[in-house]
Amino acid sequence: MNNTSIFIQTVIGGVGIGSLYALIALGYSMVYRSMGLVNFAHGSIYMVGTYFGIMWYAGLVMGLHVPYPIAFVIGVLLNGAFGVLLERILRPLAKLDLMFMLLGTIGLGYVLDNLFVIIFGAEGFAVRSPLPSMPLVILGVRIQPQMLLVIGVSAILMVALQLFLARTKTGKAMRASAMDRDIASAMGVRVNRMNALTLAIGSGLAAAAGILAAPIVYVNPAMGAAVGLKGFAAAILGGLGSIPGAIAGGLIFGVLEAISAGYISSAYTRGIAFIVVVVVLMVKPSGIVGEITVEKV
Amino acid sequence: MIVVESLHTYYGNIHAVKGVSFEVKKGEITALVGANGAGKSTSIKTICGLLHPRQGRILLNGEPIQKLEADRIVRLGVGYVPEGRHVFPVLTVDENLDMGAYHRSDKAQIATDRERMYETFPRLRDRRKQLAGSLSGGEQQMLAIARALMSKPQLLLMDEPSLGLAPIVVRQVFEIISELNKGGLTILLTEQNARSALKIAHRGIVMETGKIRFADTAKNLRENPVVQQAYLGVG
Repeated sequence: MNNTSIFIQTVIGGVGIGSLYALIALGYSMVYRSMGLVNFAHGSIYMVGTYFGIMWYAGLVMGLHVPYPIAFVIGVLLNGAFGVLLERILRPLAKLDLMFMLLGTIGLGYVLDNLFVIIFGAEGFAVRSPLPSMPLVILGVRIQPQMLLVIGVSAILMVALQLFLARTKTGKAMRASAMDRDIASAMGVRVNRMNALTLAIGSGLAAAAGILAAPIVYVNPAMGAAVGLKGFAAAILGGLGSIPGAIAGGLIFGVLEAISAGYISSAYTRGIAFIVVVVVLMVKPSGIVGEITVEKV
Repeated sequence: MIVVESLHTYYGNIHAVKGVSFEVKKGEITALVGANGAGKSTSIKTICGLLHPRQGRILLNGEPIQKLEADRIVRLGVGYVPEGRHVFPVLTVDENLDMGAYHRSDKAQIATDRERMYETFPRLRDRRKQLAGSLSGGEQQMLAIARALMSKPQLLLMDEPSLGLAPIVVRQVFEIISELNKGGLTILLTEQNARSALKIAHRGIVMETGKIRFADTAKNLRENPVVQQAYLGVG
């Protein structure tokens, strides 16, 4: 194998992991811009969503083994419904200071993590991929089929989200209420409903990420912590509140991680990726994609 | 059309409106005038449901609406043009108008109304695909008015429609307000520019530190020596 194909393989792996970070980062950014809330329970919501889907696939519910695509859809929908409930729980926090938001959402995360330890036990389990485990070899580049699934499904979800926000009446109302909640409500938009929908979409995307990741990672109730932190870093890197920023931030973070693991040392992966985030933010504090928030008066 | 009865509203901890009562008659323009901090904007925001009164009632065609949220009140036919325009900056002009019609479901009629808005405000038609944040202040004010009209209001609330606009644009805005009223729309507006407001209004209410100082026909207020001296810069 030559150097170029190793490099391409590394980048593809990074894009795959990065797509998962992007899906998580979207949840942070969408909720931040619509509710002004930094939701530190999001990593735990990712874990919950993973269980919501994988439990049907891996035989955790009455020994059932439903097909992976069906388990995926069930998990995304269940976590979306869970997001609607979360809006009701988080609504009072959105009006408070950052300190209370931090404590409230971190606390909620702990509650969820421990609740799942009680229900499913602290021990995790491996999940087999629905696709063959033999890597595909394309022009000398070896790719895991599950990684292609991750990239493909993530891309479809991100395009669908963009189309929904740009084209549909509800999507536009979501954007309008994120820009100015008072004025949107004076236009007849039920802002709390838009926030609930935002949390539903964010949680659904997190579930999608978790169910896609399950065959490559180890499913356990503590799995949300590291991914939640990286997704948050990705959202900040892209510019918290920006949707294209969350996607770019996630992909860049994933590729950075893969390259530093492949070429420097896998022990320092996380450190290197976070150092790059810090450096970028020192140069451009608003993140890579600064949203247009300028308002002429 | 709308009756406000001994309204008390707090803006945070500030008692901004202290027992205000007035009436807006159908088909008329009523102007709330007074200095900055007199409680004009707070009164308007309380009527449209963005603020809620601690005491008092607001009756729209006899029905109390003071407990309803803003998204309900717009459905009852009360349009709102906020102070400082507040167009949605990252939506296009077209999309801003569609947001104005958010609670309506008559798609074909909405499209027709939107074209009518572009006939009334031709400058907006040229910019319909542009982001509203890129418009000039005057254009944003036209858009904010058009957006409110898209909700098909029977009563239009306008908060400081001339604030921060160039003098020639201010004149245009007041002409538009008069035209809308001649078309049958009832209007309640607040203005620091009392002189221009009382020229087009039928009735005026002068507010001072949260209370009503004078309430009369606009003509009588224009001729009232105290109002002239304090608010119209005469004498």
